[in-house]
Amino acid sequence: MITNHLKLLVGGVQLRDGVVTVTDVLGRILTRAGLYVLAMERGYASTIYGAHQYDPMVIAEQPPVSWGDPALDILVALDYDSNPDASQQPNRDTVLRHGSHLKDGGVLVYDSSTGEIPTEALERRGIKVFPLPARNIARDELKLDVVKNMVAVGALFRLLEFDRDVTLLRKLVEERFMRKGQKVVDTNLQAARRGREVVETVLKARGWTGTDYHLEPRPVTEPRLLISGNEALSIGAIQGGCRYYAGYPITPASAILEFLEEHLPKYGGRAMQGQNERESIRAALGAAVAGVRAMVGTSGPGLSLKVEEFGVSGMAEVPIVIVDTQRAGPSTGMPTKSEQADLSLVVFGGHGEIPRIVLAPATQEECYTMMIDAHNIADKYQCPVFFLTDLNLSEGRKVVPEAVFTQTAVRVDRGTLVREEDLRRDGAYKRFALTPSGISPRLVPGTLGGIFKVTGSEHDERGFVSTDPATRKAMMEKRARKMETYLREDAKPPQVFGTPDRKPVLVGWGSTRPVLLDAQQRLRALKIEAAVVHFTHLWPFPTDVAKAVLGRASVIIAVEQNFSGQFADVIQSQSLLPVRRIVKYNGLPIYASDVVGGVEQILQDGITHVRVGTEAPAPVRVSEGD
Amino acid sequence: MSEPNVTKSNGQSTVRAAQKPSAKLWDENATPRHRIQWCPGCGDFGVLAALKMALTKQEVTPANLLMVGGIGCSGQIRNYLNGNAFHGTHGGALAYALGAKMSRPDLTVIALAGDGDTFAIGVENFVHVCRRDPGVMLVIMDNGVYGLTKGQHSPTHGRGMDIKEWSEESPPPFSPLRLALTAGATFVAQSFSGDPKHASEIYVQALQHKGFAMVNDFSPCVTYNKFNTYDWYREHGEDVSASHDPANLDAAWELLNDFDRRGRLPLGVVYRHPRAKKAVNRLPLWPEELQGADVRPLLQLFR
Ligand code: SF4
Repeated sequence: MITNHLKLLVGGVQLRDGVVTVTDVLGRILTRAGLYVLAMERGYASTIYGAHQYDPMVIAEQPPVSWGDPALDILVALDYDSNPDASQQPNRDTVLRHGSHLKDGGVLVYDSSTGEIPTEALERRGIKVFPLPARNIARDELKLDVVKNMVAVGALFRLLEFDRDVTLLRKLVEERFMRKGQKVVDTNLQAARRGREVVETVLKARGWTGTDYHLEPRPVTEPRLLISGNEALSIGAIQGGCRYYAGYPITPASAILEFLEEHLPKYGGRAMQGQNERESIRAALGAAVAGVRAMVGTSGPGLSLKVEEFGVSGMAEVPIVIVDTQRAGPSTGMPTKSEQADLSLVVFGGHGEIPRIVLAPATQEECYTMMIDAHNIADKYQCPVFFLTDLNLSEGRKVVPEAVFTQTAVRVDRGTLVREEDLRRDGAYKRFALTPSGISPRLVPGTLGGIFKVTGSEHDERGFVSTDPATRKAMMEKRARKMETYLREDAKPPQVFGTPDRKPVLVGWGSTRPVLLDAQQRLRALKIEAAVVHFTHLWPFPTDVAKAVLGRASVIIAVEQNFSGQFADVIQSQSLLPVRRIVKYNGLPIYASDVVGGVEQILQDGITHVRVGTEAPAPVRVSEGD
Repeated sequence: MSEPNVTKSNGQSTVRAAQKPSAKLWDENATPRHRIQWCPGCGDFGVLAALKMALTKQEVTPANLLMVGGIGCSGQIRNYLNGNAFHGTHGGALAYALGAKMSRPDLTVIALAGDGDTFAIGVENFVHVCRRDPGVMLVIMDNGVYGLTKGQHSPTHGRGMDIKEWSEESPPPFSPLRLALTAGATFVAQSFSGDPKHASEIYVQALQHKGFAMVNDFSPCVTYNKFNTYDWYREHGEDVSASHDPANLDAAWELLNDFDRRGRLPLGVVYRHPRAKKAVNRLPLWPEELQGADVRPLLQLFR
C-alpha cells in the first residue's frame, strides 16, 4: 500500500472532456487536505477543439523534489468515442499515448460510455482497470453533460479511499456552484456518488479489496496555495509596484494579461491588450517615461517583434520589465510546448550594445519574489530587465505556502527618482549625468523645477542629440558601467547544491532546477556524486563568482531545454571553461531520467553533447521518501 | 533611420517655480535657435512657432508637457522648445504617447511626427490610437517626403500632381483625414505651417479636445519637395467655412468629398465629436503610493 505518494495523469479531448477541470478540482482539494501537488507537464494543443490534452500531477506528503519521470501510477482517460463504429478510435488517445507509462500494478480509469477497450496487455502487468461510463451517467441519468468530470472525481476519490465522508468535495462544490443554485450542487455531488458506486461495483466484481494507492489528509499547519508561475509573477508585479501592463495575446503569456486586466485596476493600475506586440512595449515604455512602473509579457514570436524597443530602453535609459514565457521556437514553432531557447535573443538581441539584465526564476515562489526584485532593479539600472520563464513554469501549478507571499519583506525602491526639493537644492538637472556608478537621476514629468529630454539617439548629459566622439565614448561607458555596478550590488550568485570539488557539476538555469536536484539524488543512488549549480541571474554573467565555483568541477555539464546549449555557450565564452551539454528539444519536459542517462553517457564515453528525448527514458528508481 | 545631427547644447537649465508661461519661456531648456538643424525656410519652423503660441495660450507649463517626437526632420522639434521630450523608434511616437497619457492624464501629451513616420512605418499605431482615443494631440508635419534621408517618397507624396499612370512602386497619395475618420478619430483637422497663426488656433482647439486630436499640418520641405511648395499650398488650401458643423460626421465626409471634387485642401477643423469616456486618475508611482499593496485578496483565489 502506497500512501500519499503517486503520479497521476488525466487525459482527454481538448475543450470537450474537461481535463483541467478534473485536475483543478483534485489539486484544490488535495491542497486543502495538506498534501503537495506538482503539475508542471501539462500537454495541450494550439488548436482549440479535439486535440489530445493531458495534465500529469505528482501528489505527495512532502513537497516533491521534481516532476520526476513519465512513469505513472494512475491514468484517468476521459475520452470517449464520438463515433464508436469507426475502425480507428481516435479518442482513445489517452490510453494509447500514456498507457505504456503506467507502472506495473498501477490503475487505469477510463470512460467506457462508448464501449470497453482492450486492456488485457495492461492487466497482464497487474494494472487494475476500472471502466467508468461517466459520460453516459452524466448525460442519461443526471441530464447534465458537464458533470461527467465529477463522476470521474468521485471514482478517483473512492479508489484512493480519500474524502470518504465527502466533506472536502462538498465544500468545494458549494463554493463553485451555489450561485447557480442548490440543484446544480446536488447534481454534482450525485455525479461524484455515482462515480464511487461504479468503482465499488468493479471492486466487488473483480474481488479486489482496493488499489495499491491511498491518499490521506495531513494536518494543515499553514495556509497553502496551488498557484502557477504566471499567477505568481503577476501577483509579484502588483506587489512590486507595477501599475501599467501591456500584452498582445500569445500562448503562454496571455494568462498574465488576463490576470492583470482583472486585478491591476483594483490597485490603481491599468492593463491593456495591445493591438500588436510593438504597441504593447511602446505603450509600456511611454508609461515608464511618464514615471510609472511598467511591464510587458510575451513569448518568443512576440519577443522577436519587440527587439527594436530593447535598444530604446537601453539607450534612452527607460526602465521596463519584459516577461518572456518561453515556448518552443523558432518562428511559430510549437506554441504549446516548453523550451529554453530565447536566452541568446535576450542576451544578445538587437543592433548596437546596451546594458541589460536577464533574470530566470526556477519556481513559482521565485516567480513572485524575483518579480518584485525585477522592478526594483529595472528602476535602479534604468534598462530592460528580462524575466525568463517557460511554458512549464508559467502554466505549471504547485503547492506553495501562503507565507511566501505574505512574509517576504517587500520594499519598493524606485532608485534615483528626483523630487522637487532635490531639484531646488541641486540646480541644473541633467537626465544623463555622468556618474561613477553610471546611474543618473531620473525625473518624473510634472516635477517642478526640471525637464528632461530623452532619446534613443546618442546624446549628451542633458539628452540633446550628439555624435561628438568624446560624448559618445563617455555615454557608452556610462551605460556599460551600470552593469559593473549591478554585478557588484545586485547580481545573485548561482545556488550551489553539494560540493563541486573534482566532481561532475550539473549546471542549469530557470525552471530545470527541481529536475537537476532530483537527478542528483538518483545519481547518488547509482554511486555518482554530482553537484548542482543553478543560475537565476544570468546576465550580465557573474564571471568571477561563477568561475570560482565551476572551476573546481571535474566536468561541467549544462542541462538545457534547447538544441545548442545557449547558456553553456555563455558560460564557456565568459569563463573560458569548457562546458558539456545535455540538451532536450522535443517539446517534453526534461525528466530526471534524461539527466541521469546523459550524465552516465558523458562520464563513460567522454562525449560533449548528449541529445536526449529520442528514446523512452529509462527510469531509475530511488528508495521511497526521496 | 539615422540622424546626422550634432547638436551641442550650451543652454542653461533653469530651475523655476510654477509660473505663468510667457512665449519666451519656451526657448529655455531648448536647442538655441542658431543651432536648429532644419533647412532655412523649412515648414517645421512654422509648426514650432504655432506650437509655442498654442501652448502659451493654453497656459501649459514645460514641466507638465511631454512631447513625443517621431524619427525624421520633424521629430527634432521636441528639442527646439522647452518641456519634457521623448524620442524612440521610427513609427512609435503615438504608441509611446498612448502609454504616457494612459498613465498620466495630468500631463499634456503631444506627439510630433512626420507623414512617413505616421502613415508608413507607424500606420498601425495611428489607426488604433484613433480608436483608443487617448487625450493626445498629434501634429503631423506632412511634406510628402522623407527629408532626413534625402527625399524619398512618403505615403502622401504625389498630392496634386498630374500623374497619368501609377505603379506599385509609386502609388497615389492617400488622405490622412479620410483614414482618421474611418478609423474613428474624434478630432480631425488640417493646418498649414505657412500660416502659423491660423495653425495655432487649430492646435488650441486640439489641445482643448478631450480625446485624440489629429492635426495634419502641411509643412513644406523646401529642399526635397519642389512641387508642394508654400505657394502651391497657398493656392490650393482653403479655410473650412464657418457654417460647417464639425460635430456632424456626414458633414465631415461631405466636406472632404466637396474639397476633393474641387481640387482644394481644407484648412480647419473637419470633425470634432468627443466620445463619452471613463474617468481615469494618474496611476500610482511614488514609492509611498506603491509600498505595502495588500495582495491577500488575490491569494484567496488560490487556496
Ligand atoms: S530636408 Fe525638408 S523637411 Fe528636412 S529640414 Fe530640410 S526642408 Fe525641412
